[in-house]
Amino acid sequence: MSPRPPSDLNPRRDPALDFPDRDLGELSLEDYEQIGFLGGLEVHQQLDTRGKLFCRCPAGRRVTNVDAEVLRHMRPTLSELGEYDACALMEFKTRKEIVYLLDRGTVCTYEIDDTPPFPIDLEAVKIGLEIGRLYGLNLATELHVMRKQYLDGSIPTGFQRTGMLGLTGEIPFRVPSLGIDRPLRIRQVSIEEDSCREVSDLGHRITFRTDRLGTPLTEVVTEPDLRTPFEVQAAGRLIAQVARATGKVKRGAGAARQDVNISVAGSRRIELKGVGHHRRLPLLTHIEAFRQLNLLRIREELRNRGIEPPSLPDGRAFSWTTSPLVIEASGHLRRCEYAPIKDAIDRQERVVAVRLPGFSGLLSHRTQPGITFAREFSERVRVIACLTDRPFMIHSDVRDYGLDPTQWRAIHSALEADNEDAVIVVWGPASDADTAAREILIRASEAHEGVPSETRQPYLDGTSGFERMLPGPDRMYPDTDTPPLPIEDGWLAEIESRLPELPWDRENRYVEMGLSLGEAVELGASRWAELFDDLSPANKKVARRLAHALRKRIPHHSRLGREAPTAEPIVPLVRALEDESIRLEATEAALDALIEHPEKSAVEVLASFKVTKTVHEEVERLCGRVAESAKDLTDRSRDVLMRWAMGEVMPHLLGKADPMEVRQRLETVLFAEEAA
Amino acid sequence: MSKDLYKGYRDPCLSLLKRHDVTVWCELEAQTSRGEFHGLLLPRSETADPYHLVLKLDSGYNIGIRHDTVQNLKKVGYREANYKIPEQEFPRDPEKPTVRLFGTGGTIASRLDYRTGAVIPAFSPGELYGSVPELADICNLDTEKLFGVFSENMGPEQYLILAERIGEAIREGYDGIMIGHGTDTMHHTSAVLSFMIQNTPVPIVMVGSQRSSDRPSSDAAQNLINAAHAASHGPIAEVVVCMFGPTSDRYNLLHRGTRVRKMHSSYRSTFRTLGDIPLATIEDGFVNPIREDFAPRRSDRDVLVQAAFEEKVTIVYYYPGMQPDVIDALAEKGYKGIVIAGTGLGHVNRKIYPALERANAAGVQVYMTLQTMWGFVQMYVYETGREILELGVVPLANMIPDVAYVKLGWALGVHPDDPEAVRRLMSTPIAGDMTDREPHDGYLVLQGGVPESAKFFTNVWK
Repeated sequence: MSPRPPSDLNPRRDPALDFPDRDLGELSLEDYEQIGFLGGLEVHQQLDTRGKLFCRCPAGRRVTNVDAEVLRHMRPTLSELGEYDACALMEFKTRKEIVYLLDRGTVCTYEIDDTPPFPIDLEAVKIGLEIGRLYGLNLATELHVMRKQYLDGSIPTGFQRTGMLGLTGEIPFRVPSLGIDRPLRIRQVSIEEDSCREVSDLGHRITFRTDRLGTPLTEVVTEPDLRTPFEVQAAGRLIAQVARATGKVKRGAGAARQDVNISVAGSRRIELKGVGHHRRLPLLTHIEAFRQLNLLRIREELRNRGIEPPSLPDGRAFSWTTSPLVIEASGHLRRCEYAPIKDAIDRQERVVAVRLPGFSGLLSHRTQPGITFAREFSERVRVIACLTDRPFMIHSDVRDYGLDPTQWRAIHSALEADNEDAVIVVWGPASDADTAAREILIRASEAHEGVPSETRQPYLDGTSGFERMLPGPDRMYPDTDTPPLPIEDGWLAEIESRLPELPWDRENRYVEMGLSLGEAVELGASRWAELFDDLSPANKKVARRLAHALRKRIPHHSRLGREAPTAEPIVPLVRALEDESIRLEATEAALDALIEHPEKSAVEVLASFKVTKTVHEEVERLCGRVAESAKDLTDRSRDVLMRWAMGEVMPHLLGKADPMEVRQRLETVLFAEEAA
Repeated sequence: MSKDLYKGYRDPCLSLLKRHDVTVWCELEAQTSRGEFHGLLLPRSETADPYHLVLKLDSGYNIGIRHDTVQNLKKVGYREANYKIPEQEFPRDPEKPTVRLFGTGGTIASRLDYRTGAVIPAFSPGELYGSVPELADICNLDTEKLFGVFSENMGPEQYLILAERIGEAIREGYDGIMIGHGTDTMHHTSAVLSFMIQNTPVPIVMVGSQRSSDRPSSDAAQNLINAAHAASHGPIAEVVVCMFGPTSDRYNLLHRGTRVRKMHSSYRSTFRTLGDIPLATIEDGFVNPIREDFAPRRSDRDVLVQAAFEEKVTIVYYYPGMQPDVIDALAEKGYKGIVIAGTGLGHVNRKIYPALERANAAGVQVYMTLQTMWGFVQMYVYETGREILELGVVPLANMIPDVAYVKLGWALGVHPDDPEAVRRLMSTPIAGDMTDREPHDGYLVLQGGVPESAKFFTNVWK
């Protein structure tokens, strides 16, 4: 028996091959529907507990101190079907030395897998249950700790301890600006330990810091219901907002990270791992969708050319020497002037050439902005064969580079390659070059499947690179070191009794206060929502104006490095707006003044914005002065003149006088003659 | 048969399952007061409480459902697990040395049944080759599973069988012997084999693991690989323990069987040589001796096996306030030998002197070792020591208490009717169990936190 794997395939099998590549922002919901875009999120949120999940080290301390280093390797273990997981095998092929940096204050012998786990942190479990409750999940009655295997070294045990808290829920997903108003289905929430922070990954050595390791996280998994890159971003924000509503999660850099699963019609799920900021999600997922579409186009082209996949003996663990598609090329390149290859030969490294039957021209097919299909090969080689000194690979689609035509011809003829074939030349230390040759053949055979299952690393420019094969479902084993934990009804009752206000309830409250749904959603998700609540505007007009003012002005001041204001100095402004002693138009200016002059009292600051008894005389005086200046401007149209005049007068009267009154007065003084 | 259908479930879950006509390995839809769950019903661990059903979800997670939340269980399928370790034939190469690997049990010889969490034995050559294929590059391997017991259940009965079978294997011409063993009492077995099997011409290498081989970070593979190097072509023909040097995956140490002890409950680098230095390091396939006074490998087969053990032997770990009746009770119960782990240089309180005297008169042999683990018994320094000697207590130099215990059991087994011969054997070093001298680095317990240790650890793999 193996657990039925969750379907990785996009439900639509007909790729939209004719759909042109477009930039983010150029596509409508219908366009994304046409290419079959589907996204899902796995959001990892650190919990704000005192200690780590399975040991009593402090959680949430970030350090740079190093007291000692430990070196380990990860061996793949056999799955229950007696096979090595593709992911596991790949990691082992890389033969990485994994180095852990230890700091006495943040790590004990548990994290480095020299002591069995201590009892699970109940504070974390209860926060996790509360989060599960907020997502409307069916909660477990007994928590079983499992081991989820990770062989990349990010966890010294080689597995992450994780337990399922709840399943199958949904939350209201309302984003008027994107036309979204439907439930967001949540598949599950689990509680798990955080992994190490990667410090460097050079060649055969990867180094991790262990301070973060073991920090309690919840992982929230949505169903793949997100239909555009912007929906992915909105869902990420909503999920984070729900978790934050508990007030018991960590905030700030690295405290919440999401993995995004993307597929398009005809492809399968690809995971983009560890995206730290929601604002990066749209571009990343858009580019990934088109990468997949381009891989499907390449598959189609191979089919059209009638090319069969290269035969790979015996799964993934074969030796290239048994393949007629690979030769040792050093002999043909003795006179090579291309420095990287020449140097490699001088260092007595190995140069191999690989023939990809029928691939001519495909390696230069664009897959991501500024990136061609050849990158899919070089990324594999970089990660799996640990070749890091670029360049380590050239290919025949770029003929005027690297080798001269004679050398290309020699290699082609040695490989018995014709014009329809592509040739990749790769070099490095002998065993790494061997691995590289094998991986190139494997990647080429995967091109015939279209989109291989991968976990990809997102880059800042929105593109992504190969990180590892997507692990199969067979990597989850019970943790025999930890007894099952009954989840008592009493805990749930306690959680129920102190549930925080949920985002959608808050939004509804804002709507009742007078905001539109769009404004309510935006306010609810903002950092100043609490400030708004503390100011508790009493009528609809003030509420709406205040929400608008906060949205416009708070980000401006925070960009200038000013501290976010507390409610105290601003309350008098809100009360003044309510009793109309300050006019609504003055809200922003008054707010600015309060924030800019924390040293002054609110009364003092607000004085200059108050409506005064002499305001009518003031209007009269200013309008008169403008009418005087306007005499030189009689050649202008009425509209232009009016706009100019309002611009002259209003800044002096903002918040003090009703703009309608000013306008009427100006019309009278400017155009009185005309009317007469 | 009905037991298997409901494996591990007791009431109230058992009757719940029967009422809904479902058994383990049924795929279920469970309606509960906490919502609906779908999964495969797994067996329940016998040591877990009787109130929960365990479902394996499609995601691979297990989840527990309390019996009284269940409203309905509906069977929607059946998928029985049939767990078997994959086997691959272990290749043979006539050019390579051939090693006999005896299995006794323990972590190194077991794997996890991934669905139930139960530990199942895995020890055939095919299974080993399946998980550590590198072994085939080192030697040919014949394995024999003698027992399937955890470390704590190894005892005199197993010692005798193991010693005899090793003797036979040596005489059959094997180039080396490996013994897979649980780590908790590995040093007891290594000591007793050091006495029972003397003058071995080939290495006898004990190996275990602190992390089971189903874990990616397991130490099992490195330990097995290095033990295979030591056994197949290593130069040291003694009973040795082959385990991690540092906790990092760097090298193994070969410890002499009578000087080694497990010193940490869970660290990988738990085995240490006490009062001396280890015999060798093993790294990248090379056995590098770090001392010269080891017994070298020979081509003859002149091994001496003396498999005997008297079970009525015990260790008494002395503590302040010990009452004399502890000793009296042992003598009355027919114990033939007592090893005392005394304080300091080898002391016990005056209150138990009369009991020691009575034991001596009754023919119970009493020996003195140290609970300090390091250092020599020296009973002449203080008057107490001299008084205790007069009571017939025999000092055992720097013999580790656990080693003294198995040596006394062995000596009394070999010479059941000759107390003098036993005393002679006990007082004579046979396999490095007592040494003439302790080198300056024979005691090395680094103090963490002090500047010199901190500096040291910036330069080495911990």
